[in-house]
Amino acid sequence: MSKKQVLVECACALLIGLFLYASISKFLDFKTFTDQMNNQPLPNSWTPFLVWAIPLLEIAISITLLFEYTRLIGFYASLVLMIVFTIYTGIVLLHFFPYIPCSCGGVIRNLTWSQHLALNLFYVALSILGIVLQHRKSFKPIFITNKHSLV
Amino acid sequence: MKKIKWTILTFAILLSVGGAFASRPHALLSGLYYYNGTGYMPVVGQEGVTYVCESSPLTCTYTLSGGVYTPYQTAASYTPIQATPSTKPAPKKEK
Repeated sequence: MSKKQVLVECACALLIGLFLYASISKFLDFKTFTDQMNNQPLPNSWTPFLVWAIPLLEIAISITLLFEYTRLIGFYASLVLMIVFTIYTGIVLLHFFPYIPCSCGGVIRNLTWSQHLALNLFYVALSILGIVLQHRKSFKPIFITNKHSLV
Repeated sequence: MKKIKWTILTFAILLSVGGAFASRPHALLSGLYYYNGTGYMPVVGQEGVTYVCESSPLTCTYTLSGGVYTPYQTAASYTPIQATPSTKPAPKKEK
């Protein structure tokens, strides 16, 4: 197993770990998650959709990251989702909303909004790394992949 | 190679699922309370609907167990929704 391959597997493992932990935690305490979603400065009419869409999307991304042939889609999807979370965190920190909701309902309850932002940025970087490495692997030139057959 | 790959991924799955169950908060046996400056009052209504927990150094809600109020939602303050200039739709006026 090459170094790059180990890096890809580790990036996958970290992303799967985050998404599975986050989604299962939400389902295990669904009422609190619903309350916390209502606590966000977003219209409450979005809550019934978001409380199902977010954890189901996280599980779907985890599944795509597991298998080699869907992994690139998984990395792109995790990048988009983490960018959305990062933008939302940034907007909250910039006092864009009329009030700052507490970050007490998040998956990692003890983190402040700034720490959430740092964590999100780390996972954005991890998704980008995964995309770059997976692209190199998927689109490796034929003369490299078949070098043994050419000899 | 596949063995190492699946070992790493299985470890991540087990750790995340186990961690989610291990960190699951205990079910609330009693209701929630907030501190109004003079005493503890029971929280009426639903979070995000009748009140919000705004980011602050205070404690938003407490639980009551054995006569002791324990902080539940920390680093936040209890704010009734009428007092919050929020983006949420204002409650309908009854005719």
